[in-house]
Amino acid sequence: MPVSGIVLSCLEGKADEVAEKAALLDGIEVHGVLPDSQIIAVVEADTVNGEVALVEQLHEIEGVVSVRLACHYFEDT
Amino acid sequence: MGVTRRDFLKASAAATAFAAVGASALNPLKAGIAEAADDGIKWDKAPCRYCGVGCSVLVGVKGGKIVATKGDPAGPVNRGLNCVKGYFLSKALYGKDRLTTPLIRKNGKMVPASWDEALDLIASKFKDSIAKNGPNSVAMYGSGQWTVLEGYTAVKLFKGGIGTNNVDPNARLCMASAVGAFMNTFGSDEPMGCYDDLDLGDTYILWGANMAEAHPVLYSRMIDNRLKHPNVKIIDLGTRWTRTSQQADEYIPFKPHGDLAAINAIIHVILRDKLYDQAFIDKNTVFKRGTENAPYGLKDKESFDDVAKPLTFEQYKELMKPLTPEWAEKICGIPAKKLVELAHIYGDKTRKINSLWTMGVNQHVRGTWVNNLLYNLHLLTGKIGRPGENPLSLTGQPSACGTAREVGTFGHRLPADMVVMNPKHREITEKIWGIPAGRISPKPGPHATEMFRAVDRGDIKCIWIQCTNPYQSLPNLNRYRKAGDKPGTYAKKNDAFIVVSDIYPTRSTEMADVILPSASWVEKEGVFGNTERRTQHWFKMVEPPGQAKNDTWQLIELAKRLGHGGLFPYKHFDKEMFEEYRQFTIGTGKDLAPYETYYKVRGLRWPVINGKETRWRYAEGHDPKVTKGVGVEFYKAPNKKASIWFRPYEPPAESPDMEYPLWLCTGRLLEHWHTATMTGRVPELKRAMPEAVIEIHPEDAKKLGIKSRDQVRVSSRRGSIVMTAELNGRGKPEKGSTFVAFFDETKMINELCIDAFCPISKEPDFKKCAIKIQKV
Repeated sequence: MPVSGIVLSCLEGKADEVAEKAALLDGIEVHGVLPDSQIIAVVEADTVNGEVALVEQLHEIEGVVSVRLACHYFEDT
Repeated sequence: MGVTRRDFLKASAAATAFAAVGASALNPLKAGIAEAADDGIKWDKAPCRYCGVGCSVLVGVKGGKIVATKGDPAGPVNRGLNCVKGYFLSKALYGKDRLTTPLIRKNGKMVPASWDEALDLIASKFKDSIAKNGPNSVAMYGSGQWTVLEGYTAVKLFKGGIGTNNVDPNARLCMASAVGAFMNTFGSDEPMGCYDDLDLGDTYILWGANMAEAHPVLYSRMIDNRLKHPNVKIIDLGTRWTRTSQQADEYIPFKPHGDLAAINAIIHVILRDKLYDQAFIDKNTVFKRGTENAPYGLKDKESFDDVAKPLTFEQYKELMKPLTPEWAEKICGIPAKKLVELAHIYGDKTRKINSLWTMGVNQHVRGTWVNNLLYNLHLLTGKIGRPGENPLSLTGQPSACGTAREVGTFGHRLPADMVVMNPKHREITEKIWGIPAGRISPKPGPHATEMFRAVDRGDIKCIWIQCTNPYQSLPNLNRYRKAGDKPGTYAKKNDAFIVVSDIYPTRSTEMADVILPSASWVEKEGVFGNTERRTQHWFKMVEPPGQAKNDTWQLIELAKRLGHGGLFPYKHFDKEMFEEYRQFTIGTGKDLAPYETYYKVRGLRWPVINGKETRWRYAEGHDPKVTKGVGVEFYKAPNKKASIWFRPYEPPAESPDMEYPLWLCTGRLLEHWHTATMTGRVPELKRAMPEAVIEIHPEDAKKLGIKSRDQVRVSSRRGSIVMTAELNGRGKPEKGSTFVAFFDETKMINELCIDAFCPISKEPDFKKCAIKIQKV
């Protein structure tokens, strides 16, 4: 199963709300909400495309400005 | 229960993300767990394989396979973070249907062959054709995804060996208009500014560019700038509401082709209200008028010469007088008062203005003109060549700049801004290549559209296509292939001998007589050049699968069989060939560094002079070629003066009418890159984004009785396909317009596109043609 570390940038004041919604998605672990409206999360899914689909769902959460990929491990895919 | 490998990986993923935003101290996990995940993984840097942004990626290799990728924290472009396309780096090389052996068509079927058999066949076909029909009967169609040396090899073999200029890249389809305007405005291709302007400016005006999806890393830099500096303003002008519009401070819709009128009206107000910088204009510019009532390229072999006539500033002002905001409003739909407001933003001396654009401006039947007009805005106001305020033409492929433009893989170009039509340029090139004087033909080779028209007519008998997918990406595809054929179907229309080198089966390999399996990205050593003049190198990290070989090896094997092997005498191929290529650049203001310099750095922006890169070209204090005391100096332009062109409004090649009442615009999605030959490999991805859909404005759909997800037949004068209607998708076209992404090989929307092009750049207009939609 692939694993990725991502950074969500949110509109000012929206990060806590976005983090709560993101954490409800199966496959998303929120690891931290930073003071500058950024969220650190880990994505895991059965496949790479499952990860991409999760990222797309994150994009759709109101208040999300961007989702960027910090790293991607896929050694057992 | 102990800590598993999976726990290590997740800890490492989180730690890397914390580190990427400089917040490692806030990571609640224990130190040491994350590091364990990297056990046995060897990391090395490479530029990303996808778009023209040129993000730096760390590639992790274990057991001869890539097992991980990271945004490179040392990469100045992306600073440790990649966009969603970074996910596909893992899959681009490891799809199950990767091509691993040469294939030759025998009795209508592709059968495996040895490299010798395939190359001997190619050589015999090329030799026969050259002997019977001359060197212009063979051609090479390349790519902005070629590495620098792949492009250089092709140009040297065809122009310096075979003696034909029949080489053109797919970059003709995406940024030739940008090249045309850089050359006729500044006398040299590629931008004066760089990505630092995204951090340093305060006003960003986007002309038809959906950066949030097509260039997300750069868009994020602008957004980050706005988060830190509340006075930063992003204005999105477009024909479709997009994810970019969602985050912009202002979205200003305009009618397709309306940019040509809108920018002229903004210039009109800059002149009328004296918002220009007279001293800058006097010192740095001249005024010109080109040839008007230009053709649209719809006839084969159409020729056009843009003859420049000098103008005075006063004459230019007179010509611009009728192009008022009120006149433009009728054409572009932007209210006159908004155009006045935009002119005053461009002319505001307290604001640092940047214009950004890409395919919306370039893929335009007057693409070079619109590029010229955007430069006019900056030249008239003096907002150019200074940190934080510049025009920036964005690119879509990883080495459209480094290879297609700098090496000169276009039919008319040679390295470092030189052209085949210029005897001095041919002489310089022949000398560096060590070939007899007169070997390089003075006749420009055909541009991409004309090249495939020549194949269709039978004028070109043999064509080799590398690293690109023209039988999906060309406009008016039905001219070149049978209509309605399904993927995998043999759809060839004529007797041309077609060779295709690629890494996966595509809609182009199915047209081929010979398919050659290529090495890709980190399966070979390479150099790419990105949008901001950054030259980036990477080493080979893994072996290509099966018998796959890199494209340079393939070309040189043909060269040997055609008797041109002497053109490539290198013992240490990459280094020696790059050093030869670098000779073209020295002293030109496009200077590249010695090859080994690029081993360690995350790229350098040329000109690299005395070991230092140049962030702002033509700017004193940054570009050493600029004369001391002059500030800005366009030293590559004749008399060191940039050209301000009068470019009036002329209509599109085709507009909606009673029969075909809607506009069709094509473009890109974040998750699929171009024709999706790499991003579309994985079945699960196709579930996430199953097929291309046509976005329709709800009011237009209501009139036609169409609901979201209905099947509709979309037709133009050139073709017809059935697809799904989308009324509430990610993008929302304006009333009267529709949008389709061109990634889907089962719904080839380019069958409907008109093959009209800009008469100067020869870049086709994929953004505007007339269609009708019927519910199925």
